[in-house]
Amino acid sequence: MHRKALAIANTLAPHSGASDGPQSNDYRGTVDDVFTLIVQRLIISIPVLLGVLLIGFLLLQVVPTDPAIILAGPTASQAEVAAIREQLGLDRPLWEQFALYLGRVLQFDLGRSMISNRPVLDELESTLGPTFELMLACLIWAIPVGIALGTQAARRRGQWTDRLIMAFSVAGVSMPIFVVGLLLIQYVGGAGLLPFQGRGGPLWTSSGLLHIVLPSLTLGAVFIGPVARMTRTSVLETLGADYVRTARAKGASERQVVLHHALRNALIPVVTLIGLQIGFLLGGAVVTETMFSWPGVGRMAVGAISSSDFPVAQGAIMVLAVSFIAINLVIDVFYGYLDPRIGQR
Amino acid sequence: MTDAALVEADARALEALRRKNSIIRRLLRDVPAALALAFLVLILVCALLAPWIAPHDPFANAMRLRLKAPGFVSPDGALYLLGTDAQGRDMLSRILYGLRATIGIGAIAVLCGGGLGVLIGTLSAYYRRLDTPLMRFVDVLLSFPSILFGLALAAVLGPGLFSLCVALSIAAIPTIARVARGAATVVMQQDYMEAGRALGLGDGALIWRYLLLNCGSTILIYATLQLGQSILLGSVLSFLGLGAQPPFAELGSMTADGRKFLQAFPHVATIPALTIFFIVLAFNVLGDALRDALDPKLRQ
Repeated sequence: MHRKALAIANTLAPHSGASDGPQSNDYRGTVDDVFTLIVQRLIISIPVLLGVLLIGFLLLQVVPTDPAIILAGPTASQAEVAAIREQLGLDRPLWEQFALYLGRVLQFDLGRSMISNRPVLDELESTLGPTFELMLACLIWAIPVGIALGTQAARRRGQWTDRLIMAFSVAGVSMPIFVVGLLLIQYVGGAGLLPFQGRGGPLWTSSGLLHIVLPSLTLGAVFIGPVARMTRTSVLETLGADYVRTARAKGASERQVVLHHALRNALIPVVTLIGLQIGFLLGGAVVTETMFSWPGVGRMAVGAISSSDFPVAQGAIMVLAVSFIAINLVIDVFYGYLDPRIGQR
Repeated sequence: MTDAALVEADARALEALRRKNSIIRRLLRDVPAALALAFLVLILVCALLAPWIAPHDPFANAMRLRLKAPGFVSPDGALYLLGTDAQGRDMLSRILYGLRATIGIGAIAVLCGGGLGVLIGTLSAYYRRLDTPLMRFVDVLLSFPSILFGLALAAVLGPGLFSLCVALSIAAIPTIARVARGAATVVMQQDYMEAGRALGLGDGALIWRYLLLNCGSTILIYATLQLGQSILLGSVLSFLGLGAQPPFAELGSMTADGRKFLQAFPHVATIPALTIFFIVLAFNVLGDALRDALDPKLRQ
């Protein structure tokens, strides 16, 4: 009787705690499926990436300042400017410039900074690490905290714990990120409790760890709300599902039901939400990096755009877009793991 | 005969519309949602009446009166309810004008971006062939972090209200397009669409009279909620110095102005910051109540 109930629960739920039965093996996607999924997503990503490149390229074409004049300097003659224009390919038609740009991008040549004259890739190389560091430092605490809060709210649905958590989450979503940053800089940084200027070195040093606390708190504070909210909704939905009723019927404890049966299946929409929020997180990182002088891609993009250094700006925009697509790819694969039925479609 | 059938189909479309209106009525029974709505109406009235109810000139500098605390009464007996900023300008008057600017910028963005979004969404639901390319385009827009869009536009067009509005409009397109597509897809499956088509109505009439009319209320509600998001994003961009330029009163840039005096004179930055927070909060509370009202599964 118990075995039969378990088998039914396994059939109904993509993952239901016990996943070692023959039934669940049938549901599990193979390595080939995951590989096919990755290839499919990569192919879909190409037009998206081209679109992003084209928009970035066209956007920066209308820059009122002529890069050749900036590069040539104020004392350059007309002929010198013309020579530089030819050298940069600026005298060719737009589509040809775009094709040239694409060709260079495929060879990982993003041009040179118009200010430091260093290759854009070198400039960006040192900024990618800090940005990912900041995003990871935010996600590593904000996602578990958000999921824990959301699960608690769902378990205590309608009680004051639920109301408090939901009120907190709505407040978090409504708070402009700079307000969180300002308050932390003022009351924690200003009081000398934690540093709030720049990066303090690698994360395994104490200075590095201390420096990342405030930026990661700022970025995470606006991230917890959506995660908690989605987890609550999703857990509430799965708690009403047939396989949860079956799990209860076979005598599983409430804790086991929530953690093994409801939460695991509830995480699928949460993972999707996190994927959708990555763009938002990148945007938040721009503000956080600017406020805390964090040497990341976002701050570099802001700096490059405001100083009309458009090779760097284009490079930074592309790096942000590629990161976005790559992170979503990882999330898609993870999604396929959480719900193996997706990988088999 | 054809006329009678047309009237019948129209009546059904209208009935579906009425069913949606009952959702709004249900929404108003929710206390926090009703409070949020009342607060937003109050804010809107204040913003509209700013030139008439502002106690002082929001742009008049008075260096003698700079950085006074809330409740300050000047030697000539004038009350400064929310104090003054670094240039001695009345904070209350600036907040009232700032509301005007902040909400106005958001509203322009939702109108322009929302209009384009509705066009994209309904077209992709109606013409299935267009669905994939249009939604891919929306994905591209969505993949562009909106703050970065604001930065790029500020660089291209110069920082200011125009580039801010363009950036916010573009940022509003994908959300509204997805909502419109979702709502339109549901309507597309209704019998009255089939009935209208069977009567020989053209695509234009079907889209305008049946499709748009029936998703109209859903789209309108979500567009209103998008206003909260546009206000939030607009204030962030203005805070970064990419939107409204001084001496223009806008809540985000006012917060940035007050940032330098946060320790000694916290009211200069916190009052506009909290105003933005409460406006966005009210929009979100309203949005939550709406989601609950629309999803019967979560309602007990």
